[in-house]
Amino acid sequence: MLKIYFLTALRSLLRNKSYSVLNIMGLALGITCSILLFLVIKYELSYDAFHTKADRIYRLNVDSNYEDGVFKTTSIHFPAVGILRSNNPGFEKITQLYGEEGGQITVPGNGKVAPRFFREEAGVGFVEPEYMDLFDFDTGGQDIRPLLREPNTIILTQSKADLYFPGEEAVGKTVKFNNTLTLKVAAVIPDFPTNTDFPFAYLISYASLKNYSPYDLTSWNSLVSNHTAFALLPEHSDVKAMEKNINTTLRKHMPEKRKANEVITLQPLDDIHFNADYGTYSQRTISKEVIWSMALVGLFLVITACINFINLATAQAIKRAKEVGIRKVMGSNQWQLMLQFLGETFIITLMATLISVILTELALPYLNQLLELKITFGIWNNPALQLFLALQIILVTLFAGLYPAFVLSRFQPITALRSRISVQQVAGISLRRALVVVQFTICQVLIICTFIVNEQMLYFRNKDLGFNKDAVVTSFLPQGQAIKLKALRHELLSNPAVENVTFGIAPPAGNITSLTNFGFNNSREDLPFQANLKFVDENYLDVFGLKLIAGRKFKDSENADANDSTLRVLINETMRRKLQLKSPEDALGKSITLSGGRTKGIILGVVEDFHQASLHDPIDPIFLVAQPQSYLYMMAKINVRHNKEALKHLEQVWYKAYPDDVFNYEFLDESIARFYQDEQRQSTLFKVFSFIAIFIGCLGLYGLISFMAAQRTKEIGIRKVMGASILNITILFSKEFVKLVLIAFLVAAPIAYYLMQLWLQDFTYRISIGYWAFILAGIATLVIALVTISFQAIKAALRNPIYSLKTE
Amino acid sequence: MKNLIIEARQLEKKYLTDTIETTALAGVDVSIAAGEFVAVMGPSGCGKSTLLNIMGMLDAPSGGNLLFMGNEIGRATERQRAQLRKQNLGFIFQSFNLIDELTVEENVTLPLVYQGVPQAEIKTRVSEALERVGIAHRRNHFPQQLSGGQQQRVAIARAVIGKPKLILADEPTGNLDSVHGREVMQLLSELNEAGATIVMVTHSPSDAEYAHRIINLFDGQVITERSAVAVANF
Repeated sequence: MLKIYFLTALRSLLRNKSYSVLNIMGLALGITCSILLFLVIKYELSYDAFHTKADRIYRLNVDSNYEDGVFKTTSIHFPAVGILRSNNPGFEKITQLYGEEGGQITVPGNGKVAPRFFREEAGVGFVEPEYMDLFDFDTGGQDIRPLLREPNTIILTQSKADLYFPGEEAVGKTVKFNNTLTLKVAAVIPDFPTNTDFPFAYLISYASLKNYSPYDLTSWNSLVSNHTAFALLPEHSDVKAMEKNINTTLRKHMPEKRKANEVITLQPLDDIHFNADYGTYSQRTISKEVIWSMALVGLFLVITACINFINLATAQAIKRAKEVGIRKVMGSNQWQLMLQFLGETFIITLMATLISVILTELALPYLNQLLELKITFGIWNNPALQLFLALQIILVTLFAGLYPAFVLSRFQPITALRSRISVQQVAGISLRRALVVVQFTICQVLIICTFIVNEQMLYFRNKDLGFNKDAVVTSFLPQGQAIKLKALRHELLSNPAVENVTFGIAPPAGNITSLTNFGFNNSREDLPFQANLKFVDENYLDVFGLKLIAGRKFKDSENADANDSTLRVLINETMRRKLQLKSPEDALGKSITLSGGRTKGIILGVVEDFHQASLHDPIDPIFLVAQPQSYLYMMAKINVRHNKEALKHLEQVWYKAYPDDVFNYEFLDESIARFYQDEQRQSTLFKVFSFIAIFIGCLGLYGLISFMAAQRTKEIGIRKVMGASILNITILFSKEFVKLVLIAFLVAAPIAYYLMQLWLQDFTYRISIGYWAFILAGIATLVIALVTISFQAIKAALRNPIYSLKTE
Repeated sequence: MKNLIIEARQLEKKYLTDTIETTALAGVDVSIAAGEFVAVMGPSGCGKSTLLNIMGMLDAPSGGNLLFMGNEIGRATERQRAQLRKQNLGFIFQSFNLIDELTVEENVTLPLVYQGVPQAEIKTRVSEALERVGIAHRRNHFPQQLSGGQQQRVAIARAVIGKPKLILADEPTGNLDSVHGREVMQLLSELNEAGATIVMVTHSPSDAEYAHRIINLFDGQVITERSAVAVANF
């Protein structure tokens, strides 16, 4: 019996090739998307989930409360972990680490071989032995904990060892880190997995940090986001109680100022990859909302494909009516027929899934590139994926097949045998209409969202940030080398292709933020909000085109005056407003105090507001202050017409000044564009998936229309004989679908509006949703639908009426 | 009393559409005994096919009684009728009604599959049936590859393979030329001689000659019933 069912199914698929191809293609596309999205979601959810104690690991964060909100940071004060170790409030283990975003490794040369430099973009972790107690990174069976106890020790990952010491034994060799630390390679371990928020290329013992860090590791003064701590809690711990204990313990040692507004909170490890409020060493988080919306998009695509199937199958049912009649006469009951048709759907779904597996394999590299992920497919050893596929096959079979099977098997044998089944009987026309509306609604929601996301991206790219970001080359200064800057600037400017040069803590908008409390106008009390302190030299305003609206710029020489320790300060408009000064002029000459009154400053001028971070964030109140020892960046404005020459010159001068440090530059507009990488990815994903949704929808529409054209051959013939033109006939077919597209639009527009409103809420600076995106999406869908329809309609209309009438 | 296979008493069938009620059968009395070969004749629309469909349990009567092997089945459910059909009846249609996607052999197998006959037995019975209708050499062909006469022979093989108590034939030669038509009638005749009970609807007087008895219908009523010899004498 099964064999016969199988054969009937297969042969019927082969007989109706175009129908089968449309169906299988549509399903395969939908399923491919769902597999890809499944892989992405599974990958994102797998971040750091492989640590066996993952459910008991918590990060210690500091939340600082200010009048304008809570400032959340992943950092912990340098003395905190030591104190918590000696006064353990009840956790099993605690560890601190210091992560760097990258750095330079120098493999020293000898008489014969020149030293080699490697600029690493991947992270560097200064870790304690306890780090390995909490986290289960593969060490290739070695216990590296004793090695991490020693200062000046580095543990390389395999790929780095191969890179630095090709064909040699790396253990025992010496390397230099950022030309500051001389480190001995103590072990080589396998590369870190890709699905971790500790993306370290090598581990350096935490004991080495004191020789490297610019910060005082015993002081409470700094709260640096590179420095974090993780605690392992005993099983079934009361997290709130533990938080309270930690705070109580630390507050005994904390300076008064910090006590006033800082609270330590515990964040579960399984939250850190998904919580953008804090962040990770991998510099990326993905919100659960984004993950669920991806799942939703995947579901929508599969539903769209299933709807195609239902529509095509029910339309096709007329052709199968005779078979149903015969089988019933031969003694089949409805149940057996349902099983048979479900079986056919199962075969189609199975074929579609097999094709999807191949398509996924082909598409995955592109997706990885697009999302900058490293997902592997590995269907054979991925039980979760296998289960997902099996479940999907069953659900798609049921969802797509149940209704057509029910319709087909319900036919009365006599009616079926006499071919008296009409389209209307096969599927409530209204059901088919409703399904098409659902499909178009999904398409239009996706299109509208794509338009709006795209517009926001354009806005990001084109919004005036209040400073000039074009043609500025930036490079990290070597650590501890922020001297000789005057001479360096002079050298850099010796070529006219370099127009101007400035040094400072960071470009106007960047990742490095230094926040400080301060007092105003001789008050000893700090104000209830923090200032963003930007250390910059006298050329900063010119290089970035920051507009001075009152007062004057400071000169580097003023700040270098040994007899006058008063800081010359510029403030931005936001600061002026926060200080409740009526006009920019009112600010001039006013004093400020920093570092608890130890440092005094005087306001020399006010600059117009500029964005000091991405457009996700509001503009901070800012101080611009000269302080050469805090300059981290060299920033050069170059002449774009002599782009190459300028870069060459910069490089030459750089290596003359810093022969041991790689000239690793970046264009500012590119680094700013990276602020919106996540949104850019989402935007591209939206584009790809809405395109696929439309394509699947068109496949279905095409099939449906061809079928309708075939069904109405006689009608078309009669109409043509009566004098209908090709246009009349095309309109006849299009009318109904135009109506459906319009209904779908009415449903889609508010849904899309709501979703986009939600999405845009994340951005402090955002577009307002205009009606054009909706109109354009509506028109686009209509045009696409009409083109699909007309193709078949015109073909039907062109047929000779004599022939079409004869076939009846 | 003869062994009655099917017996209709005052059988009625009305079709209802939105506005019109059409009477297809208006009080028909018919009985078919085992081993009989009965032809049902009459003009188009007289109710022949309706009668055949009701006897074939493809349709339910609106009134009267229908007894199959002495049991009332007029008000049986679709499920019960399907059950009775597959155990007791064989069908032959004017348009053959073979499934295009199945080969000759697979088409003939169908009734046995639904009856749940074991695989080994199916094989021998299908071979037998194909031999009997002289189409065994075409067993692996698809219906479209056969002539009308051949297709109808396949349909006959399919109708008899389940060893039905009653074979219902609806214009079995209607789509065939005279040569093939005669072949098919001969085959039916042979089957009848071998013991099969056959009820055949036909327009063709020459086909009707093969039957023992002819029932003439007009406007849903039996107007004459006579032996086939009488027809020949007309």
